[in-house]
Amino acid sequence: MVSSVKSSPSTETLSRTELQISGIWRVVVLNDPVNLMSYVMMVFKKIFGFNETLARRHMLEVHEQGRSVVWSGHREKAEAYVFTLQQWHLTAILEPDETH
Amino acid sequence: MKRIEVKLSLSVVAPLLDVIRRLADGFSEKLAAPQQMGDIDDEFRDAWVAELITGQTADVKALLALFNDEFFSEGIVAFDEDNAEPIVRACAAVRLRLRDVYLRGLGDDTLEGGDVEIDDLSEDVRKAFMCYLFLATVQELIIQHLVSSIIES
Repeated sequence: MVSSVKSSPSTETLSRTELQISGIWRVVVLNDPVNLMSYVMMVFKKIFGFNETLARRHMLEVHEQGRSVVWSGHREKAEAYVFTLQQWHLTAILEPDETH
Repeated sequence: MKRIEVKLSLSVVAPLLDVIRRLADGFSEKLAAPQQMGDIDDEFRDAWVAELITGQTADVKALLALFNDEFFSEGIVAFDEDNAEPIVRACAAVRLRLRDVYLRGLGDDTLEGGDVEIDDLSEDVRKAFMCYLFLATVQELIIQHLVSSIIES
């Protein structure tokens, strides 16, 4: 399945065609009691290019509802976003968007 | 290049470094916080986790590098556009590990609210909590002064 075990998820392995699973996938950020609100907002701005208002809205959704869907689209790109969020130590998961 | 220098109290911060150093070795072995990887195959999962661990290890190294000779002689640490990003991430990693190792007994609501009676804590937990607060302050300083360079980098 994996073209090279030693390749990095952010480069070669994430670009492999095996993961181009059809359908739409959601990138979901889950709440944690540790990360600062300002930190979470900064990460959203950096990774997704959110403006202040959108970053705050998603951050508050995570904080108050325990989760926020921050992006949806093709699996390969969704995996890359989850990986990047995890590099920033946010709890991020991938889930299928069953509305599509 | 934008740079901020912060003068810290050596007597307050130096003992907290011992806490970070004690945790530091673990960052090359496992993630600061467990992640749910979902339905990916084992090989891909291993490669994924290995790259996350490589990144967090480098970040924590950058954090520890802050506390160099200048810190131990003058009490000064410096943040700039080069080190801000790894350090702000390392602070998140160490805070997550502090919660995991020392602070779970406080409860997540207490930890999130910050309403902790310091004097009631045992020595180890008190030091860990002080470290947890110190690293949050470092993050806030970096975000306040260097957020633009992090977002645009």
